[in-house]
Amino acid sequence: VYGRLKLKAISEAIRVVPHFPKPGIMFQDITTLLLDHKAFKYTVDIFVDRYRHMNISAVAGVEARGFMFGPPIALAIGAKFVPLRKPGKLPGGVISEEYVLEYGTDCLEMHVEAVQPGERVLVIDDLVATGGTLSAAISLLERVGAEVVECACVIGLPEVKGHCKLNGKPLYVLVEPRQ
Amino acid sequence: MNALTGNSLKISRVNIVSKKFQRHSPSGNSVTLKSPNTSTNFQPIRATVTGGADSGETHSTVLSTESARDQLRPDMAASPDVTDGRIAGISAAIRVIPDFPKPGILFQDITTLLLDPKAFKDTIDLFVERYKDKDISVVAGIEARGFIFGPPIALAIGAKFVPIRKPNKLPGEVISEEYSLEYGTDKMEMHVGAVQAGERALVIDDLIATGGTLCAAISLLERVGVQVVECACVIELADLKGRDRLGDRPLFVLVSSI
Repeated sequence: VYGRLKLKAISEAIRVVPHFPKPGIMFQDITTLLLDHKAFKYTVDIFVDRYRHMNISAVAGVEARGFMFGPPIALAIGAKFVPLRKPGKLPGGVISEEYVLEYGTDCLEMHVEAVQPGERVLVIDDLVATGGTLSAAISLLERVGAEVVECACVIGLPEVKGHCKLNGKPLYVLVEPRQ
Repeated sequence: MNALTGNSLKISRVNIVSKKFQRHSPSGNSVTLKSPNTSTNFQPIRATVTGGADSGETHSTVLSTESARDQLRPDMAASPDVTDGRIAGISAAIRVIPDFPKPGILFQDITTLLLDPKAFKDTIDLFVERYKDKDISVVAGIEARGFIFGPPIALAIGAKFVPIRKPNKLPGEVISEEYSLEYGTDKMEMHVGAVQAGERALVIDDLIATGGTLCAAISLLERVGVQVVECACVIELADLKGRDRLGDRPLFVLVSSI
């Protein structure tokens, strides 16, 4: 039983920074969660408990905050960790997926041989907003024949599950954004 | 055959290649292939704790007394046991990519290490074994590959994790440290209040090349009164003399390429 207390500790460890990166945005800052060893451990443990028996062989984390949560989960469940990166960072053969931002587009890349067809993969990021980045991550993995089992985020809007563009994939979120 | 004359050296996508023939390149995380080598030659470990570990004296520069936790004992100080089978697996899991980010450069790619759950776990375990009883309260990881290794170590040793980031990524109030690149400068940032004076810190990155980014990270931490106990990297590009640039700050690496 994770308990409301653990989720409460996680939620309260997240700092809200108003008007970052621009006015009107209440930025959910997980760096304070990382400073709280107990709450950070709760976070990882909740994900690990959920995924350890789901035969997941790879955890794909979105650069850069997904890199902080993905590896501890991967290590605990015996899965490999696959970084999904901004363009030009990964050496060697990559595939790219473009996705839409509020203004313009961005791009996510993955090593072509990181994941094999049929592998069961978990996608992780710190927060889901529109789902654009996660959707690009799912596309990358499906293009190489992997099966995305679920997307997991520490923070997500409660209504995002309905409106999120996640290609029909389930989304698992621990806490809502704070004000 | 010589890379400089334009004949390309065919490097198969095996794990450790031609470590012997690399020359100085100031651009960080890169070494330039000077001439081919038909044999692989790497040292699994070549880490030393500078400043008198053998004599048992503390080598930290700040106020701590010579307590057990400050001393990296001679048996621990030099390096992980060269016969530790885990090191060979870790080294073998690292992929060398020629001509990235530009022609003539051999890139040390740790993503293949991350695809090998045993080797990745062994990497973390080696660091955790070294640091778990050293009263380290902060693990500072350098963006972005330091974010992959730092958190698992921090979680295992009961420390907090502090990301050291490129400019304008951290949302709150930050302190910055500028550092030199081959051309121009860059900056790294840390949140104000992330660490307190007197805390003991470990700085982690995947690789040390010239040592520029590690030095900048150390500066950030020392400016707020933190004691940097050690810098830890998976890979050292020994030719680039990053270890010298760190001066008397201890450096611990798992794999050193000559």
